[in-house]
Amino acid sequence: MELNIIVNKKAYTFEVEPSDSLLDILREKLNLTGTKNGCKQGHCGACTVVVNGKAVKSCITKARKLENANIVTIEGISSDFSLHAIQEAFIEATGVQCGFCTPGYIMELYALFNANPEVGKEDINKALEKHLCRCTGYKPIVQSAMLAQQKIRKE
Amino acid sequence: MKLYGKVVGTNIPRADAKEKVTGTALFIDDLRFPRTLIMKVLRAKVPHAIINSINIDNAEKMPGVHKVFTGKSLGLDKNHLFGTCIFDQPPIAIDKVRHAGEVIAVVIAETESQALVAIKEIDVNLEELPFVLDAIEAADPNAPLIHEQNGNYRHVPTFVPIPKSNVFYMYQLKKGDHEEVFKDAEIIVEDEFEYPLMNHAAIEPHGAIARWDHTGDIHVWSSSQAPFVLREVLSDYFDIKQMTKLHIHIPYLGGGFGGKSDYTIEPLVTLAAKLVPGYHVKFVLTRKEVFIGSVLGRGMKGFMKLGAKSDGTLVGIEATQYYSDGAYGDTGCNVVLAGGHNCVGPYYFPNCNLKSFGVYTNSTPVGAFRGYGHPEGQFMVERLIDKIALKLDMNPNQLRMKNFLQHGDTNSLGQIVTRHNGDIRKCFTQTVAKLNETSLPPEDEEYFYGRAVVGLIKSPVQTANASSTVFLKFNEDLTVNISIGGVEMGQGCLTVLAQIASQTLHIPVERIRINYEINTQLTPYEWQTVASMTTMRVGNAIIIACEEAIKKFKTNAAEVWNCSLNDIVYNGTRVSYQDKTLSLKELVLGYQYPDGHTLGNPILSTGSSVVRNVTFPDLETGQYQPYEWTYGSQGVDLKINKTTGKISILHFVTALDAGKIINPALAEGQITGGVMQGIGQALKEKIEYDESGNMITTNLRKYAIPRLSDMPEKYSCIFIETPQPDGPFGARPIAEHPAIGPPSVILNAIQRATGISLTSIPVTTERMLELLRNGGE
Repeated sequence: MELNIIVNKKAYTFEVEPSDSLLDILREKLNLTGTKNGCKQGHCGACTVVVNGKAVKSCITKARKLENANIVTIEGISSDFSLHAIQEAFIEATGVQCGFCTPGYIMELYALFNANPEVGKEDINKALEKHLCRCTGYKPIVQSAMLAQQKIRKE
Repeated sequence: MKLYGKVVGTNIPRADAKEKVTGTALFIDDLRFPRTLIMKVLRAKVPHAIINSINIDNAEKMPGVHKVFTGKSLGLDKNHLFGTCIFDQPPIAIDKVRHAGEVIAVVIAETESQALVAIKEIDVNLEELPFVLDAIEAADPNAPLIHEQNGNYRHVPTFVPIPKSNVFYMYQLKKGDHEEVFKDAEIIVEDEFEYPLMNHAAIEPHGAIARWDHTGDIHVWSSSQAPFVLREVLSDYFDIKQMTKLHIHIPYLGGGFGGKSDYTIEPLVTLAAKLVPGYHVKFVLTRKEVFIGSVLGRGMKGFMKLGAKSDGTLVGIEATQYYSDGAYGDTGCNVVLAGGHNCVGPYYFPNCNLKSFGVYTNSTPVGAFRGYGHPEGQFMVERLIDKIALKLDMNPNQLRMKNFLQHGDTNSLGQIVTRHNGDIRKCFTQTVAKLNETSLPPEDEEYFYGRAVVGLIKSPVQTANASSTVFLKFNEDLTVNISIGGVEMGQGCLTVLAQIASQTLHIPVERIRINYEINTQLTPYEWQTVASMTTMRVGNAIIIACEEAIKKFKTNAAEVWNCSLNDIVYNGTRVSYQDKTLSLKELVLGYQYPDGHTLGNPILSTGSSVVRNVTFPDLETGQYQPYEWTYGSQGVDLKINKTTGKISILHFVTALDAGKIINPALAEGQITGGVMQGIGQALKEKIEYDESGNMITTNLRKYAIPRLSDMPEKYSCIFIETPQPDGPFGARPIAEHPAIGPPSVILNAIQRATGISLTSIPVTTERMLELLRNGGE
């Protein structure tokens, strides 16, 4: 099938199989390797990107559902040399260790805070619950999310 | 004059954070090369079998396929094997299959889908053999023999196998009266324990890329914690005459935890690449393959017996541990050693008789896992100490305080404990005090509540001449590049090592770059990034290189001033002698006079650090000198839901005597992460097999690692900072330690809350509910 999508504000047309995953399209066709493949089964959340404003696991999102989709990946949230507030928060609150799960978490929060910057703690935790991190013990990630929200509110 | 002397002990941001939050940090699967082929493998799917035949004719003809091979099609010699301590492993099954995840055929194709299609065309004829997964059953003389050659394999002298059995290594430690261990005992407690097989579950799957050049050079990129071990293994197996031909490159690692410290797929990928010279052959494991085709951790079944006097003084310990180490033993043998002698925990026992067996079983091979034998053994001793307390009706905390190792004691290995080893009592009392800040609620209609505190100890298990080396160069603008062979896998070594360099050189940390382009051709030697030793060993090498660089600035100045080196003062911006000064910039390339002629030399230095006084285990007593120790203590408050069985961690406290903490925020991140892994092991994680010998727990749902909702309501981290005399700024190892205590302390708290005594993990919600219904096991 022919697929028309917008990725990080640029329009692309690809010839793909309907069952191709968004993860493979991003990583293998566009070389956008910031989106990580942790399990390809929808279990770990490392591949999370934003599709039409919603955070989705790109490994289980198939091409057939993506016609005209507007996609944002980790490569698309900072401009020039300035970081997004969520990225800054992950640095300042030590939410990063190995960094493999980090882009997924950041994109999850990007969708969440874009939809509602005032979202409550319970909903933040619910969003973070979809992801696995093996390094931090989660406390630094929760702190990063809280700091990110503070920064976004101030903007 | 400003001295940059205060960066050690502060929370500077991670050096690698910007790359990681923007997705530009490169991991193995992110590397892109021209002429890349994809490798996929066929696995045995039966745990023990003779390979009658494997027909690859049809697969070879499939579109996009470059090569298909099996051990037999390449004519591999079944006696030509690789390893580091026990050479018992082929890169691919040759004549027999020893675990269900073992590779029996390989396809190299243009694309992944072409490779997967071709694999389906391979015909396999295997003759199944009886198999064994349980270590105790496998150690029985009548068990199916997994390695007929056991006993004949090349091995280093300390790893003694029992030929014609599945025991590839038996370790025994004898201290004091090891025959009459309990002669002074007035009470004895004993039990059987199980710490099942587990998976590291780093979020990044392991992968490797290899290329053989027509020049004979070999390039291997791998998500490995041990590039120089990899170089040694590959050059031995492939008989590479010169290490200058082998280029091992390491990108960022998406978590390691020991699971990437043992070679796993690299010999096979290198073998595959040899068939297609000039091409890059890429093999990244699927999540299922991480479980079945890499290495596992833990897997101990054991028995332990403690004796004490009626006042609670410990008098003796006996333990026998069986480690189910899977199909190949090399990666497990040192864990068997560490688990063997460290099962005594931080306690003084005059008499010890400890045995541990490394046993071949028909599972995925077992290797290093954060804690390296210490969690397994100390799980037993901490459970039994609580049992003694119950039996004697003594306060378990007082019982521990009474028996902790102290200055002047001889530990199980025969080492004399000194004050600089750290203060276990301070760790313990501060853990207790931290928990006591909140009172534990009494049992109510909905919940049981439990609290417990344990001690812990860990030594870095490393080879006796483990070393780190670094190169340092000063640039013309007084920035500094330092090349290391240590691997950044999330622990933060690039940051902490820059802090150490900054404080030694008295220059701002922003001007220091710890290079992270590991290539064994360019990078100085590093034994491997394991045993929590990078801050300590690489840090020490960096201090030496920095001091050498300072000396070279002074040497340049001494030539100009014609004075003694010792009279020159360096402060990070200039050097001075009496009323004369020269800026470092004037000296960094040597000193140049206005007429052009130059004295001295550009500033370039090296540093190295070798562990000292470490010996190999004595074959008779098992005693030896390992390295230094880190003491610690962990405590928990938990509640157990009476109707659902769910165990919730209310407060988890860790106190470590870690010596000087170089970066408290990063250190705390190691603690919370390690504790969460330990809690996962206590409550959730277990590798399981079905009746056919195939693993069931092959994804991250069935093998449930902790999620956010499993996090303790509160973490506390306490650092005691008794300086390590030979550590950089007094630092000592900490990274594995927080993963040691959670299983024992949680099971102790469960027993105190419910009266139910458990000796195996994990205690899942379902199991706890069942236990509550039945009042025990």
